[in-house]
Order: sequence, then C-alpha cells, then structure tokens
Amino acid sequence: MARDKNSEDYVGPIRRLLVGVLVLALIALFLVWRIDSPRVERLRAAAIDTVVPSFDWAMAPITGAANLISDFQSYQQLREQNQDLRRELQQMKAWKEAALQLEQENAKLLDLNSVSLDPQLTVVTGVVITDSGSPFRQSVLINVGARDGIIDGWPTMDAIGLVGRIAGVGQNTSRVMLLTDTSSRIPVTIQPSGQKAILAGDNSLNPPLEFLEDTALVRPGDRVISSGDGGVFPADLLVGQVALGTDDRLRVRLAADYQRLEFLRVLRSQPHEEIADPDNLLAPEAEFFGPAGINPASLNASELTDG
Amino acid sequence: MADRVDRKTWVQAGIFMALAFVLIVVDLVPLDMRPSLWVAPDLLLAVTLAWVVRKPTYVPVLVIATLFLMTDFLFMRPPGLWAALVVILSEVLRRQHREFRNMPLLVEWGTVAFGVVAITVVNRLVLAIVTLPQAPLGLTLIEMIATILVYPIILLIAHFVFGVSRTSPGEIGSKGQIL
Repeated sequence: MARDKNSEDYVGPIRRLLVGVLVLALIALFLVWRIDSPRVERLRAAAIDTVVPSFDWAMAPITGAANLISDFQSYQQLREQNQDLRRELQQMKAWKEAALQLEQENAKLLDLNSVSLDPQLTVVTGVVITDSGSPFRQSVLINVGARDGIIDGWPTMDAIGLVGRIAGVGQNTSRVMLLTDTSSRIPVTIQPSGQKAILAGDNSLNPPLEFLEDTALVRPGDRVISSGDGGVFPADLLVGQVALGTDDRLRVRLAADYQRLEFLRVLRSQPHEEIADPDNLLAPEAEFFGPAGINPASLNASELTDG
Repeated sequence: MADRVDRKTWVQAGIFMALAFVLIVVDLVPLDMRPSLWVAPDLLLAVTLAWVVRKPTYVPVLVIATLFLMTDFLFMRPPGLWAALVVILSEVLRRQHREFRNMPLLVEWGTVAFGVVAITVVNRLVLAIVTLPQAPLGLTLIEMIATILVYPIILLIAHFVFGVSRTSPGEIGSKGQIL
C-alpha cells in the first residue's frame, strides 16, 4: 500500500490541479448561466438539438416494448371498450346535432351583429421526441423548431386542450413547457361566470387556480379556457374543467390527455396589435365653423400659455 | 497508474459509457407525461459512484464530468452545478477507494450515502443562495433515499453482470500495473 501511494505522488498533484480546474470550469458555467441565462439556454437548446434526434434509434425499442405491453392490456379490455365506445357514440351523435344547430345559429347571429372575430389560427404539428427526463421538470421536446418557424411563447395543444407553451427553440427541436410545470403561469377565464384567474403549475396533475376574485362564483365542473390577457395566449383555447382538490383548493382537470402526448399542435399565435400612441387615434381636427371664442384649437393654445 | 492502461480497462470504460447512455435514454423516453407522485432513484448517480468505489480506473473523471454536464443540459437542470458536485464527490471516493477494499460493505455504503446526502444538501443550498426555483423538497428527499437504497443492488449487478468488483489484494492488471 505504501508503494501505491509513492507511485501516485508525481501524478497526484497535477491530477488534483486538473480536477480543480475542471470543477471550477463547471461552477463558472453555472454562474454564467445564472447571470446571463438566455445565452446559455441557447447553448442548451443547440446542444439538445444536435444530441437528442440521434437518440431515436435507441429509444425505438423501449417505446416499442412499452407500446406492446399497453397494447396487450388493451386487447384484454377490447370488448368492454367497444361497448363503451358505442354508447358514447350514441350520445355524441345527439351532441353533434345540437352543435351543428348552434353553430349555424351562432354564425347567423354573428353575421347580424357584424362581429369580427380573431383571425383563424393556423397550426404546425410536431411529434414528441423526449420528455424532460427529470421528475422535477414537466416539459417535452418536439421535433419542430426554428426551421419550421416556431417562436418562443406559442401555445401548444393536443387534439382537445391546451398542453403548454413553447419555451426554448432549437434549429430542429423545441421544448414545450407543460401546464403542470412549476414555472408555468397561464391567464384563464372560467365560464360561465367569466371570472379571471391564473393557472399556476405546481408539479401535480391538476394545477391550482390562483388570484380568483370570487371563489363563490366558481363551481366544480365549470369550463376553463385561456383568456388572452396580457397578450400571451390567444383567447378561448380549452384548458379543462374546474375541480375541487383534496386540499380544498380549486384546481383544473386538464382536458389534454397527459398520459399519452404524442402529436402536439403548435398554434401560430399572432401578437395583438399594439396601440402605441393613443393621441393619433383621435380624428384629425375638423375645420371649425363658428365663433372664435369656443374654437377648441385656440382653447387648447390658451390653456397651454396659462399653464 | 495513469500512464499504464490495459485493454480491459478501455473495454470496461466503454461498457460504462454504454450503460450510462442507456440509463439516460431510458429517462428520456416519453411514455407518460403526468407528473408522478413518487420518484425513481437517480440510477446514473448510483452506478457512477459504485463504479468509482469499485474500479476507479474504469471511470475517468473527464467522463464523469462530460456525462453529468450532458444530463444537466438534457434534463433541464442548472448546467454545471450538479456536474461539479458529482465530480467532487467522485474524487473524494476515488481517493478512498483503496481503504474501502479492507472495509465492510456497511462502511462503504455509509460513506456513499453520506456523500449523496451532502451533495443534495449543497445543491439545494446553492440554489437557495442564488435564488433559483427549487424542486419540491419531498420529491428530492424521496429521490435521495431511493438512490441510497438502490446502491447495494447496483453493487450486486455490477459484480455479477458487469464483473466490476473490489480489487483483491495483490491483483495486478495485464500490463503489470497496480490497480
């Protein structure tokens, strides 16, 4: 043992120095990230962009095996499921009829009122490549990125409901921060009461509603849709239903199927037009006919001189 | 020690990297996006520590640093911090690996457990100092304890599947180097 220590002596100090430098470099990277996060986050996006798509071949067998197991389970319940679906279909037919009638009626009413709605949203559909890999972050990586014109902040949906928003765009991939992530905050409206609230992710399946003005007006089962406040999201995207949590907080049962997120639609959300200088909204000054004493232009001028 | 590396060491280092790759990929496969109430152990950390304690030459420090920096990037952790902590812990264990050979398993396990607890606490402390959002405390604790509990199982797998076990006294490598 003594010989071992001796033989290490000439390597030891140099190695220790190099390891020290390595650790310092890592800590420096962490500090740079903390001070100047966007730059390192871009580096992260670029790194993920190059590394992850090449994992595809390695993931295929694992995904395949998992699918095989779930398929096997579903074969067992096939008959049961079939009956359920038939029953559901019957109900849905009735609903579809009602919806069609309502749609026509709605179109007629909108036409009568000559209401102009938001322009239709177009979508880009992406496939989920990986999840965040950590139990503490709720996000997924999808296979569309800056190449496909994806921009940070765009909302993402599955077939039914809102899933999250784009947070981090690489050349070929982008990251979707799910509504369940602890840093996700979405402005929502609760229908039919029209109450505004913030849906705040807390790493649980049913995120709580925060900043509700009047909880008495909100009941479990109410629909939750995005409100479009703050210009972050387009309005009227379905989020889910209100539910009362076991901790007596109002939570939202998300409409999106988080158990199997496979295809995600990224909505090309156009930013709201901003009105930067409200003064110019006033119509240009019309020619004034009448006594000079009450000419608004001269009034303004006199006020200015007085002030 | 550093200048004489035989073929077996290279192969075993390769096997370690392949194993690490598999563990990372398994973590990344998108199967269920629902937030879970429990947390699986940090297998990559447990495997790395087991390998460092048993056969430190198979896991060069540069490999550990690269691997954990990559997982920092992939798993959306603050980049660099966890990697630095794991490198420090692995260096501490690497320096003690000769002493571990003559000690009962419980001492080795206890040391590793202490190390895992230490880096978890330091990680949370640093995140608190620089005011970064923290992972839920409960989940972190579950992950830490699970990692510690899984360590002996990893040792068994390392011994029987990968042939990575304690160096017996007087054992030398195929080039006559001291292990």
